Amino acid sequence: MDYSMWIALFSIAVGTYLIRLLPYLWMKQKLTKSQREDSIATMPTWLTVLGPTMIAAMFGTSLVPANLDTLSWIATLIGTLTTFLVWTQTRSMGWPILCGVIAFGIIKLCF
Amino acid sequence: MSTAVQPLTRTAWVQGVKDATPLLGGYIPVAISFGLISIQSGFSVLETILISIFIYAGASQFLFVAMVASGAPLWLVVVMTLLINARHLVYGPNLAPYLNKDRRWIALMHGLTDQIFALAHVRLPQLPNEARIGWYTGAAILAWFSWIGGTALGAIAGGELTQRWPMINDILPFALPALFLVLIIPKCNNPLWALTIGASTLIALILKVLGYPNVAIPLAAFCGAIVFYALKNQPSIKGQ
Repeated sequence: MDYSMWIALFSIAVGTYLIRLLPYLWMKQKLTKSQREDSIATMPTWLTVLGPTMIAAMFGTSLVPANLDTLSWIATLIGTLTTFLVWTQTRSMGWPILCGVIAFGIIKLCF
Repeated sequence: MSTAVQPLTRTAWVQGVKDATPLLGGYIPVAISFGLISIQSGFSVLETILISIFIYAGASQFLFVAMVASGAPLWLVVVMTLLINARHLVYGPNLAPYLNKDRRWIALMHGLTDQIFALAHVRLPQLPNEARIGWYTGAAILAWFSWIGGTALGAIAGGELTQRWPMINDILPFALPALFLVLIIPKCNNPLWALTIGASTLIALILKVLGYPNVAIPLAAFCGAIVFYALKNQPSIKGQ
């Protein structure tokens, strides 16, 4: 890489870091100023709504298989159902994910 | 997303590593792909690894190597790769109430990716205050190292790896939707949130299928928030 490429790379790296850092510092300062014990109550409501909807959106995009064929969709559906069913039984993180991946893998490998 | 504080049965950072382990199934295959594509785009192995160390944002990295390879002007490369990460703006403020005044959080913000945010948003409120920085450090460092390691693997032996073990690309990535499901499903404990989460999920899925992966997350999250505000005062939506 030439000199200008390195500058571009570090600009992106610093920019990405600041996108993650500065809003956090802004909110921290806002919470400190408010001097309340229940800091969640001082957060703007829209922000407390956007957090879970962001995670839901990541879930939605991650559901789309790399190959958009019928088998991949069926494997995704069965993997998701398995994950959900195991979660209802265990209410944990590890087992539902493991069982979901195994169910997804079985459909992909066997059919 | 239960906020009840749960006692830790192991060291905080070990618990963080354990909680973040499912992320590897999503990170490593994508990192291998990035390593492979970066080499094919003309970057060296060292340059490819440094991109993953310093930028550490999947979509930005893919866009960076693709735009550079296509000869786009560098200022445009910088602008576009930063725009793609604009959704990260809401992550820090959402976690801020759960983080203490320890200055190490400033450095740790480098590790605040989509997946670490989703994990931390659910897990941090459940942890005792003094365990949170240890937990986050364990989770974030495992994720970062797996991304760097996957990139190195992809750059050095990506083609051979994916040919020999196609499951790396085909099966392991399902760990990511399974993780997100486990994180988000406890939030669906009343009709208002179930509809909000359902709308965000469905809209994101449709946008991704239609070929708009980069706007899918922020736009679907925004639409979900609209659903929330539209329904929250409806008398038929109970249990808020």
